[in-house]
Amino acid sequence: MSITEYFNLVFSDYTLRTITLGTAVLGAVCGMLGSFAVLRKQSLLGDAISHAALPGIALAFILTGVKDSNLLLIGALISGLIGTFWIKSIVKKTRLKNDTALGLILSLFFGFGMLLLTFIQKMPNANQAGLDKYLFGQAATLVESDVWVMTAVTSVSLIVLLLFWKELKVLLFDPDYTETLGFNTRFLDILITVFIVLAIVLGLQTVGVVLMSAMLLAPAAAARQWTDSLGVMIFIAAIFGALSGVFGTAISASQDNLSTGPVIVLVAAVFVLFSFIFSPGRGLLFRQIRFHQNRKELNLKKTLTFMYRIVKDHDNISHPHAIKILNNFHGFTKKSLKQLEKQHFIQLKGNEWAMTEKGFHEAAKMYNEIGNTNE
Amino acid sequence: MSSAQLEIQLIASLVAVACAIPGTFLVLRKMAMISDAISHSILPGIVLGFFITQDLNSPLLILFAALTGVVTVVMVEFIQKTGLVKEDTAIGLVFPALFSIGVILIAKNANDVHLDIDAVLLGELAFAPFDRLLIGDLDLGPKSLWVIGSILVVTVILLLLFFKELKLSTFDKGLAATLGFSPIVLHYGLMTISSVTVVGAFDAVGAVLVVALMIAPAATAYLLTNDLKKMLILSCIFGVFSAVGGYWMANYLDASIAGSMTTILGIVFLLVYLFAPNQGVFSVMFKERKQRIEVSLLVFLLHLQNHQEIEERHVSHLEDHINWEKIQAKTVLDLALKNNLITITDSIVSLTEKGEEFTEEALKYITTNKETAIEELKKRFFLFRA
Repeated sequence: MSITEYFNLVFSDYTLRTITLGTAVLGAVCGMLGSFAVLRKQSLLGDAISHAALPGIALAFILTGVKDSNLLLIGALISGLIGTFWIKSIVKKTRLKNDTALGLILSLFFGFGMLLLTFIQKMPNANQAGLDKYLFGQAATLVESDVWVMTAVTSVSLIVLLLFWKELKVLLFDPDYTETLGFNTRFLDILITVFIVLAIVLGLQTVGVVLMSAMLLAPAAAARQWTDSLGVMIFIAAIFGALSGVFGTAISASQDNLSTGPVIVLVAAVFVLFSFIFSPGRGLLFRQIRFHQNRKELNLKKTLTFMYRIVKDHDNISHPHAIKILNNFHGFTKKSLKQLEKQHFIQLKGNEWAMTEKGFHEAAKMYNEIGNTNE
Repeated sequence: MSSAQLEIQLIASLVAVACAIPGTFLVLRKMAMISDAISHSILPGIVLGFFITQDLNSPLLILFAALTGVVTVVMVEFIQKTGLVKEDTAIGLVFPALFSIGVILIAKNANDVHLDIDAVLLGELAFAPFDRLLIGDLDLGPKSLWVIGSILVVTVILLLLFFKELKLSTFDKGLAATLGFSPIVLHYGLMTISSVTVVGAFDAVGAVLVVALMIAPAATAYLLTNDLKKMLILSCIFGVFSAVGGYWMANYLDASIAGSMTTILGIVFLLVYLFAPNQGVFSVMFKERKQRIEVSLLVFLLHLQNHQEIEERHVSHLEDHINWEKIQAKTVLDLALKNNLITITDSIVSLTEKGEEFTEEALKYITTNKETAIEELKKRFFLFRA
């Protein structure tokens, strides 16, 4: 299937359109709210919440006996919130640390959820349950109403973000200062946590319990590499998230036997990898290049100061010297000499070099600086 | 109880103990989430190993998968070192990606691989007794019993050999390094053991529940004791208890064994979390209440000492003057009376001699800023505590 054919299909085929839209909206809202999770060092909270939501889904089904996805999501929301606040209370009340609390709630809730799921499978109306899809997600089960719910939640969270923008921003970077300013940090904390839980719960049907945390983290972690501004980061994260959704859906739709959730996560991981390496400000590649450049420049400066020491005892600074006398000093190469000539610090003539006026001043400046810092 | 039932409980107990030992150290080293990362990211290792060996219990596969676990740790640490993201984000980025690869590998080869997603998450403990180790015609018992048994033996031997090194490096990394124990070797040793254990247990209880078996017993034990040895023993006991209890619960409910084991662990943790003697929620609440009342009492006594006027010492006056609620005022008054610090005549409160003495000393302690000594002072004067 060619790309244009696929494009036509996205617009003409109801299922594909719904899934693409759904995953895109989901990616956007996750990227948006995930930025807060990443910046607040709560990256793994998402993992715990998504696992903790499982028993809620199972219990909602056992109690009501109907498989209405919105009802199940409310169950997930409640149990996700219980898990989250239990984690916070464990960390606050006992000596157990954050990571232990996360791992505990994550695995215990999930285990209980699995118990309930296997229990449901034995129930008489089990075959209509199909709750397994919440483990790894099944984007194919998305219907238009799900997309509407997602869009509604996205809009609400966007409005709340804008309403509390400066409060949330200052909370993010300096919670103590926020408190002294008189803002209710508890309320803000609960507000942002509830929205993160909400975003996770929304994604369960599509991406699944196990991989949901990556949806939250990956776009935000990738976006972080491109900017230092919160607003821009959230915007980029939303775009990365949406693109992961769209590309992931496209890849999994074009192949058999590829579940959408894992593919979306892998696409998001590619975004992260790309950003880690190629982002201009923080990326590993440019960092390495800058590192080499700095080293080269340092070598040039070292060569120049060495020359300065030779030259400064002469009356005529531009008196030519043999390159040979630089041999004691190992920091120079033919290339670095050429470089120096290019910058008009020295002049090369055959086997000899002569310092220019400009080079002398530059070196003198550097030499004095070094001397001053040494003192 | 049939022999199959016995075997399942035995395997489950061994898995629980094998997980509890490294789990204790992970919890103490604040690395609990690493076990979550390992348990997810070994999946592609297991799948690839399975393609090669065609046997879920082959030692080669276990080695291969354990290697994936160690690679995960290395990758996480590499990302952390670049400083591009905060520490925990690194964990959260690596394992879902690897797990996704595993899931896709399974899904793509669903037809020729006897390995399905449910087994990955839940394990197949119920079927473990059917896969037996045969040498010739001799039946040596279930294969997984041997696998997890040997992992446990190795773990215990290493634990006994390196106990003091592990203990030291867990509680004081710097001191361990100065004394010449390489923290890096111990760190990666622990990571390797954890990975191997996770792989061995994976087959029995699945990816996520391994995490429960590693963290929950250790965390529960940590709320009960300050002694590393006791903590290790307690977490093993909790593990075995959940294994046996979980089996029978699953038997009764006709549900997943691994799920039941975790549920039992969850219940045990909840009980300890609420009722543990020093760390439990109720105990902490009780302690806080006691402290609050005793501080109030002290404030009250100081107030009495300051005011000789009768109207300042009237019982009903306390409520509006020091702004106490009725119940609290009564508790404080009762406590003071019981300890013979005050007398009440005609609703007028006055300090007894003992009360005077106590207040004097307390004041001295407070003004000399040695507030810690107040506890000892209370012990000397109080017959009854709040």
